[in-house]
Amino acid sequence: MAAEKSSIKIITLIAADGSVFEVEPNIVKEMKTVQSYIDELDQNTVSIPLPNVFGNDLAMIIEYCKKHASEEETKEAKEEFDFEFVKRMKSDDKLRLLQAASYLNMESFLQFMAKAIAAEIENQSVEFVRDYFQIESDFTPEEEAELRKENEWAFK
Amino acid sequence: MSNSAYEIMIPPPAKKVKLNEIENEDRLSDLPDCIILHILSFIKTKQAVQTCVLSSRWKDLWKLIPVLIFYSSDFGAYKKFTRLVSKVLSLRDSSISLHALDFKRSNDRFEPNLKRIVNYAISHNVQRLRLYFNGDIAQIPPTLFSCHTLTYLKLFIYPDQGHKTPFPKSLDLPALTCLKLGHFEFCVGDDDRAEPFSKFNRLNSLSISSCTVRGGKTLCISSATLVNLTMYNYRYNFYKIELCTPNLCTFVFTGAPYQRLFGSNVSSLKHVVIDAVVIPYDSEPPLFLISWLQEFANIKSLTVTATTLQVLSLFPDLLKIKLPSLNNLKSLKVKMEEISYGFRLTLRDAKLRKAKSQKEAAWIRKAFKAGLEPSSLIPDGVVDFLLQNSRSAEVDFVDRSKKPLE
Repeated sequence: MAAEKSSIKIITLIAADGSVFEVEPNIVKEMKTVQSYIDELDQNTVSIPLPNVFGNDLAMIIEYCKKHASEEETKEAKEEFDFEFVKRMKSDDKLRLLQAASYLNMESFLQFMAKAIAAEIENQSVEFVRDYFQIESDFTPEEEAELRKENEWAFK
Repeated sequence: MSNSAYEIMIPPPAKKVKLNEIENEDRLSDLPDCIILHILSFIKTKQAVQTCVLSSRWKDLWKLIPVLIFYSSDFGAYKKFTRLVSKVLSLRDSSISLHALDFKRSNDRFEPNLKRIVNYAISHNVQRLRLYFNGDIAQIPPTLFSCHTLTYLKLFIYPDQGHKTPFPKSLDLPALTCLKLGHFEFCVGDDDRAEPFSKFNRLNSLSISSCTVRGGKTLCISSATLVNLTMYNYRYNFYKIELCTPNLCTFVFTGAPYQRLFGSNVSSLKHVVIDAVVIPYDSEPPLFLISWLQEFANIKSLTVTATTLQVLSLFPDLLKIKLPSLNNLKSLKVKMEEISYGFRLTLRDAKLRKAKSQKEAAWIRKAFKAGLEPSSLIPDGVVDFLLQNSRSAEVDFVDRSKKPLE
């Protein structure tokens, strides 16, 4: 029932490594995967295991959500937060958080992470991108050369 | 039912996300194509096409990217740029709608593909469109101005020989929430006013860069929905601005405040950011800034630069003025920055005009040469002047070198 649904006060998120996070409902609004389960329940408290997200990553995601859900923070403060948030991350962190964002179905955080990763590979060579994503090519050197020739207009 | 915590299992995705970095597989092998396409959406199209050689999975992936970004600056020759644009439009998967198009061509030569690419974007339900090019608005198909899917439009048409582009009169963009314009001239009606934005019923953000009003008349920004307004002006563009924007929350101005500003309805305005300069070597700039402040009755936060305060201080007997505004100010932020040489000359000249003796004038010249003018980054008393009606406001001096002002 609608009245009872709105009575949920605390949501407990349990990460893959067992670490527990208690958050307010507005924090998980952005996590559509979590939200869709909450919406089906009438309880005051819910506990949700997230077997695909590690505690460290979940902590960072919650930090991001808290900042962005706050109505008191100015747009400028949020942008500054985003800037610092990305700055302290390594490439692996970004890729892991991107995967977590995809699993939690967090649209704006997914965009944010995708953009941060794009910034790392932007203007880099094909070889750099291949290393960055650790992609094993299944093309023979001849096949690759053929593709480059076919699409030479993009390699000039 | 008990109130105890309820356990719900969210089924894991078919394959578990790999958390072990030792496994030396593709880092992206677990990500669906749509996520990779998200990443590629932020990459310029030229580079995105190059990913076709990464592996067979990537071979045709670029054809599905919902965003196209074409910058001519990435090409040695314009011919190559034009060729890439043509190839991409022909080879891209035409069943995929185009979410965004970002097109920048920095050259005064005609871009033969412009009409084709804009038509492609419109026919693929484009929502976000950025166009920068030199020349004539006639290069854009008029259907753009009645595109019903468009939510974001940034249009910078760099004019030939300094002539501004007349802003189109009939516009029908019902979904538009964000509009950014550069180098346009607004035409006035019989009442000497231009009111180009009242037709956009969903407009939330408006940005106007280096635009003018024909005959230096009045630009009336009238919108019931507008929340953010940004203006840039680095030239001698004199005109009047009238704000009839009951829901305007944030106003950001960067450049030379050489316009008169009237707030006929700005009751919701909360945040104002002013990064003012005078045009370099302008020895007697117009002093409208003080009148702007008088329009900002209820704002909560004011962000200015040190230069802005210097511009303000040029106003004669500034500190004696009683402000009817700034009564509810909670925060004043001053971004510290170096004062440009051109503006230091303006400040010196202003001071020389006030010098009472030859001796004092000589002293001012000497101090200027030694780099001691202005003697302080923030003019004496100007911060107290701004806070005269809200003594409890928090004052913050921010080192600007860390992060540019937005």
